[in-house]
Amino acid sequence: MDFRYTEEDEIFRQDVRAGLRAILPADIRERQRLTTTMNSDTHDQRDWFKLLDDKGWSVPAWPVEYGGTGWSAIRKYIFEDEMYLASAPEFQWTGTHMVGPVIYTFGNDAQKARFLPEIRRGTHIWCQGFSEPGSGSDLASLRTHAKLEGDKYIVNGQKIWTSTAYEADWGFFLVKTDLTVKPQAGISFLLIDMKSPGITVRRIPQINDEEHLCEVFLDNVEVPAENLVGTPGKGWTSAKFLLEHERTSSAFIFWNKRELRRARMIADDIVHDGRPLSQSPAFAGRLARLEADLAALEWSVLRVLANESHGFDASVASSILKLRGSEMQQATTEIQVDLLATRGLRAYVPGRDQPAPSLPDWPEYVPGRTAIATIMRAATLYGGTKQVQKNILAKLAFGL
Amino acid sequence: MNFDYSEMQQMLLDSAERLMKERGQVEKWRERRHIDNGLDADGWAQFAELGWLMLPIPEEAGGLGGTMEDVALLNIALGKGLATEPYINSVVLCAHILAQAGGAQEALLGGIAGGEALVALAHAEIGDRYDIDTPRATTAVHDGNGYRIDGAKSVIFDAPSATHFIVSADLADAGTSLFVVDAGAAGLGLSSYPLVDGTRAADLRFEGVTVDADALLASGAEATDLLFAATDRAAIAAVAQAVGSMEACLDLCSAYMKERKQFGQPIGNFQSLQHMIVDMLVATHQSRSALYGALASLDGEAQARIRAISAAKVVMGEASQLVMRHGVQIHGGYGVTDEYAISHHYRRLLSLEKAYGDIEYHVARLAAAHH
Repeated sequence: MDFRYTEEDEIFRQDVRAGLRAILPADIRERQRLTTTMNSDTHDQRDWFKLLDDKGWSVPAWPVEYGGTGWSAIRKYIFEDEMYLASAPEFQWTGTHMVGPVIYTFGNDAQKARFLPEIRRGTHIWCQGFSEPGSGSDLASLRTHAKLEGDKYIVNGQKIWTSTAYEADWGFFLVKTDLTVKPQAGISFLLIDMKSPGITVRRIPQINDEEHLCEVFLDNVEVPAENLVGTPGKGWTSAKFLLEHERTSSAFIFWNKRELRRARMIADDIVHDGRPLSQSPAFAGRLARLEADLAALEWSVLRVLANESHGFDASVASSILKLRGSEMQQATTEIQVDLLATRGLRAYVPGRDQPAPSLPDWPEYVPGRTAIATIMRAATLYGGTKQVQKNILAKLAFGL
Repeated sequence: MNFDYSEMQQMLLDSAERLMKERGQVEKWRERRHIDNGLDADGWAQFAELGWLMLPIPEEAGGLGGTMEDVALLNIALGKGLATEPYINSVVLCAHILAQAGGAQEALLGGIAGGEALVALAHAEIGDRYDIDTPRATTAVHDGNGYRIDGAKSVIFDAPSATHFIVSADLADAGTSLFVVDAGAAGLGLSSYPLVDGTRAADLRFEGVTVDADALLASGAEATDLLFAATDRAAIAAVAQAVGSMEACLDLCSAYMKERKQFGQPIGNFQSLQHMIVDMLVATHQSRSALYGALASLDGEAQARIRAISAAKVVMGEASQLVMRHGVQIHGGYGVTDEYAISHHYRRLLSLEKAYGDIEYHVARLAAAHH
């Protein structure tokens, strides 16, 4: 065992750091640093990924033939750590980490040529059409169906919790193409142009005053048959691949690190009784506990990256990451709100133009904290609820 | 001991639950959130009609002279119905200060009781974390026959709908003093904003605001004692509203667990969710108990009162976080939408935890009370 980074890895880190800082525009960095939303600004993401792609760094994890970097797992990890440290926008997860890998793994050459370069360059915003009203964590029960008529699928149905659907160019959807077989066997993976006639998107007003989540209604939407990825009826395989592909991203390790840094910064900035809150016993204790949890989570991520054999099914460790990672996202944003006391109760509508916070009473870190902490309750809901995750873990780890 | 409601309390509760039910739909609540100054004037008039605004006000000042138990019961119902009217601030907190201080400003109580006057406490300043007895940066100086006030106040709850403020300011040679200031006074500036629970707050700026001599309510230790006592009552009312809100969450979640199907059966069949709602039940039950403890302590000695009230605020704070977070989780994605009532209880409980001392403040006060 040797748990240290090699000297070469440290040099790599310095190179990446310098490279990122050299190309990241100051205005994008500033907006990302002060982010008031859970996800990065999509316009900034588009601009940033062009710049990153020019450097060949926009999809480090992809195979080299499709534009990946060929970096080791640890270097990809270092790279992403540095992305967050530089206050760069996040990946367009749905494109780079979800549909992209499905296309280069299951797609045909025409699909690869058509979609991969644009995903790599961040040209298009993608949305994920999996969940349906009433199906939530139970994907096998979905009802949206696509009927093949000549060279087109006619799609009818309804999706829900489709993030960014209102501004998405493309969506990848799970649809039933065969109603005669067992529920999971008749599902296909379909790419749909979100501007197709028959698609209606309704934004859902959220608990935090954002309207990021959407309902998507599909009413006789015509989709060219060539947009079906993989084998008809085998969409379940693609979906499972997609959900399991990024075994460590559900830990949100870099996001958690960034937000704990922010919590510390807020705790250092707010002075009460002549000392910063970071020195008050209550907050110092909470911050220390979060730091300890985060350190453990980071090592759990590294163990997965290194394919450590731990005696359980491989997905056990990644489910543990999902559970702890989502709980940490909640705990870290909650302490931010608690640090702000009553100032944290002020409602800021995220992502819209807000009157600039006026110093010194309303520092720039106040807007967004409560909105993010509030919507972060969804972290233990999406991607399979916490309770469903625990059921899966009990089964996978112990056969219960 | 007797835990039964008196006949009067039962009537109060019945009328409150009836009104809350009539207007309690989420649609109505959402409409109320968009009122500019945060006050639903019709709703407030109904409160007045039902006598709720005179409940804690002494009989000699035109009130009903109700007990804090009565007030708590009413507030449980208000919390259940997601009422965000400025009841606690005006009718519980400020009315208590006015009644205890007496003097010329006592007349304002009649206005509160009748619904024409709304009073908000303007005590908090930047750098405070619920501090009550620390010196104020806002100053008052003698000016002719009255006083001149200069300074700033931060995150003053319900300020945009207030007709009057009780303002704390440092008065030369007298220490922290409390003044009644008309909301329309020259030199008083309000910068208003909504809070996450749909109520309104404002930052206040006083630039040479002048008041008459009889605007002074109290000074020094008397003023601080008044502030402590009144804020403690407000804390009790906040605990009561949270108890009501948590009890509503239990109803919402148990109903949802029976109706919502997943994997071919009601989600209420799943043991993991059953345990969650039971944890919510235990936390809610404990909060009501802690509330009763706080009510029992009100007439006792000071340290016991402080301990019981802070304990109730801590128990409620922790419980409300558990209940609102579990409540959202049980609702799945719908829990984070504006459409479902649970998300509104979430935001209200978040505010109630932070109002009149958050968990951290009351833990510290409770710990200090043992020395």
